[in-house]
Amino acid sequence: MALSASVNPERYRTARAFCLTSAVWFGAAASFGMIGAGYLIAPDFMANIGFIHFGKTRPVHVNLVLFGFVTPGLLAAAFYYVPRLLRTDLYSEKLGVFTAVLWNITLPAAVISLGMGYTQGREYAELPWLVDILIAILFALVVFNIIMTIRQRREKILYVSVWYVSAAVVLTGLTYSLGNVIWQPSTGALLGIPDAILLWFYGHNVFGLLLTPMGLAVAYYVIPRATRSPLYSHTLSLIGFWSLIVVYTHIGTHHLLQVPVPTYLKTIAIVDSVAMVIPVMVVLINLWYTVKGKLGEIHADIGAKFVFTGTIYYFFVNIQGSMMSLPIVQRVTHFNNWVVGHAHIGVLGFAGMTALGGIYYILPKITGKPLYSKFLADLQYWLILIGITGFAIVLTIVGLIQGQAWINGETIYRVLPEIHPYYVSRAMLGVIILAGAYIGIYNVIRSLYFNSGETS
Amino acid sequence: MRMTPVTILVGVLAILAAVVFVMVFWPYTHRDMTPSEIYRTRSPGEESGRVIYIQNGCVYCHSQSIRTIDWGPGAERIAQAGDYVGDKPILLGSQRTGVDLSQEGGEHPDDWHIAHFIKPRYTRPNSIMPPFRWLGMQKIKTLTQYIQSLGYKQADHRMQRQRYWKQESIKAYEAGPEYNVKWLAEQVPAGWRNIPNPYPTTPAGMQRGRKNYQDFCIGCHGPIGDGMGPAQPWIYPPPLNFTILKGRQISGGIIYYQIMNGITGTAMPYFKRELESQKIWEVGDYVAVFFINQSDANADPRGIDAAWEP
Ligand code: HEC
Ligand code: HEC
Ligand code: HEM
Ligand code: HEM
Repeated sequence: MALSASVNPERYRTARAFCLTSAVWFGAAASFGMIGAGYLIAPDFMANIGFIHFGKTRPVHVNLVLFGFVTPGLLAAAFYYVPRLLRTDLYSEKLGVFTAVLWNITLPAAVISLGMGYTQGREYAELPWLVDILIAILFALVVFNIIMTIRQRREKILYVSVWYVSAAVVLTGLTYSLGNVIWQPSTGALLGIPDAILLWFYGHNVFGLLLTPMGLAVAYYVIPRATRSPLYSHTLSLIGFWSLIVVYTHIGTHHLLQVPVPTYLKTIAIVDSVAMVIPVMVVLINLWYTVKGKLGEIHADIGAKFVFTGTIYYFFVNIQGSMMSLPIVQRVTHFNNWVVGHAHIGVLGFAGMTALGGIYYILPKITGKPLYSKFLADLQYWLILIGITGFAIVLTIVGLIQGQAWINGETIYRVLPEIHPYYVSRAMLGVIILAGAYIGIYNVIRSLYFNSGETS
Repeated sequence: MRMTPVTILVGVLAILAAVVFVMVFWPYTHRDMTPSEIYRTRSPGEESGRVIYIQNGCVYCHSQSIRTIDWGPGAERIAQAGDYVGDKPILLGSQRTGVDLSQEGGEHPDDWHIAHFIKPRYTRPNSIMPPFRWLGMQKIKTLTQYIQSLGYKQADHRMQRQRYWKQESIKAYEAGPEYNVKWLAEQVPAGWRNIPNPYPTTPAGMQRGRKNYQDFCIGCHGPIGDGMGPAQPWIYPPPLNFTILKGRQISGGIIYYQIMNGITGTAMPYFKRELESQKIWEVGDYVAVFFINQSDANADPRGIDAAWEP
């Protein structure tokens, strides 16, 4: 670790703050997920606590996962690799730390408002206007810091990770404001069917223009670094980047294939959802060929191990997603736990794994010391891998049971007892993931602040 | 291709602008906001109920979007764009942990919903919906008002029917058990009244009947069939006490018909979507054997012997 010998404690304060933010909110988000899973097994267990019943826990879980765990985790890595790739310092560490602090004010504000019922009732766009504004400001601050860092760069050539991360934060700042109908503070919604079209344009871009590019940016940084090999192909990087931006933005309407929206929107969404194999496979070929013959090095670096596993889940979630966009498949999979499985594969298996990988990859470099415990990080890796793989299997099975039963005319009520055992196993797997999240909090805090390890 | 900051920013912003134009702005400017034939505006009470619905995240378990392939409640009418012209936000939902509610208005009378909101297991023993007793009676009633408006004009039509039969059934109930039982039986079409239960009473059939009784009926009619299930305090006329039916010429056909079609106006739901024919006959026979203590199972007239009988 020759590079980190020069670590100055003032450097990377932003990256550190975001590592901590992500680790802590991962624990919180998974706890809320656990409460939700509990409600689906024993709805009367915590009856009459209005603040956390299922209808409130669920949006808190989803918003915390997206904006508390995954996004800050991916940003933490970005605040490390962007300056490094550009051979400069972050434009302003002060501003960066301020962003992280404001981030940690915004998240409790989000939890409290959703818990108290201040919600706009639109999935992924629930947060009330004031919190929307805070989030828009947060993205603006991040954009400003990154753009200014790019301006003061000493490296002329922009590496792929920088393309992705700058596109992600700029575009998400805009689509977030658009999707949350920020010019309508009281409702944050449009009227009728156009509301659904806008909502899912935005909702899908949370995955397509935020999590995916930021996750790929981390993969593009960590994988060549950890294997000490050059990126396989510049051309593939270019194709992957531009096709992602073009194709992903078109597919939001695949959430509305069974709803009366204009047919041309559905057609575009289906065609482009299948066309998603291009940006996905191009990127994966590029990354996987870079690794070719060097899996040992991936295995040796815990951060790279998380990231590489993330790329495998990225493959699965996208193949699955393209399938789910075919109307004949969606007849069975829509409205049931299959989609919940897909959501966890994408957001935890790909984006969450990658975020954790980014954190563990940069932690030694930003603290100048080895990880507090490589064993705990490894344990966390296995807990989460087992958890998410179990989720994928169990939720897919339940989804098929539900989907097939409904299509055969069985009522939802009658299928409830059939899916109960799967809800129980999901909760058990949830405990495993939850344990992983808590171990992560401990390990990250120890690595950041109470690490007695030798300075390397 | 040289990737300069300007190339990246201008490029991605231009793409986003073009896509927003095609995928969001164009459909928005060409939206068709013609109300469908069932649409009407919501009353202020229904609007406030909708706010409670949004605040409590009912949308995470309940869709309001009937598809061409659906069977369950509401599937009589496939959703049209014109049904949503008053919805801001639109509450299509993305998960069907619970049933679709597009056409929920008038499926049940108010007292069913109130008992159900207090604790869903009261009326639906296997339900996994969280209880909403903590909302308080006032809010539960407002919420019920919204639920009863779902389906707009079609809901109004069904509600009218619920209100009419509510009055009739209360009148009959208040005239005493004797009259009530007679009145209930008279509502069943004549042909059905003379049909005995065509399935013989068997231990296996009783087991299946008991299972379905516990999964569907126990919250109202109670574990011993006396109508004192936990839902009873919220339901009027109260769930029927089966033990008073003995010696009152209640045939298997009457029981079958009442279970299949429900008794509109009372909390007694219809079960024809949920239970197939054999299940209804068997749960009916279970009620007859265990609670009424009088069953006409497999009695004459029986027609040609059924092939599967021993
Ligand atoms: C955990 C998910 C969940 C949440 C949250 C939820 N429900 Fe339900 N709901 C269900 C399930 C499952 C059923 C089917 C079983 C039953 O009837 O209880 C159901 C049934 C219903 C029914 C009865 C439909 C019928 O005719 O059989 C109504 C009405 C209803 N819910 C309204 C609501 C309202 C209003 C809210 C919000 C205050 C709500 N639900 C929140 C899961 C949920
Ligand atoms: C939500 C409460 C509720 C549930 C659940 C319920 N019932 Fe009822 N049931 C009632 C009420 C209320 C009445 C009518 C009382 C009256 O009008 O006096 C009734 C009446 C009946 C009758 C009419 C008897 C007659 O003489 O006409 C039968 C039979 C019956 N129920 C059987 C069942 C069976 C079997 C189930 C389960 C599959 C069931 N009920 C579920 C509330 C319920
Ligand atoms: C090729 C790429 C992908 C395609 C074609 C795709 C397709 C789909 C489809 C069709 C649905 C809607 C399912 C339904 O409601 O019936 C869906 C839902 C979802 N997808 Fe993907 N997906 C892709 C990649 C991803 C990725 C990478 C992520 C996460 C990072 C992700 C996260 C989600 C989530 C969270 C949902 C649930 C939305 C909801 O709440 O209903 N998807 N996807
Ligand atoms: C302790 C572990 C977890 C448990 C028990 C859990 C449980 C749940 C539950 C019960 C739901 C609601 C599903 C429904 O409506 O039926 C849900 C939704 C969701 N969870 Fe988790 N979760 C966990 C961890 C995570 C993590 C770590 C992530 C992402 C990094 C995540 C992402 C999501 C997403 C995106 C949804 C929305 C799904 C959709 O809209 O279709 N979850 N989760």
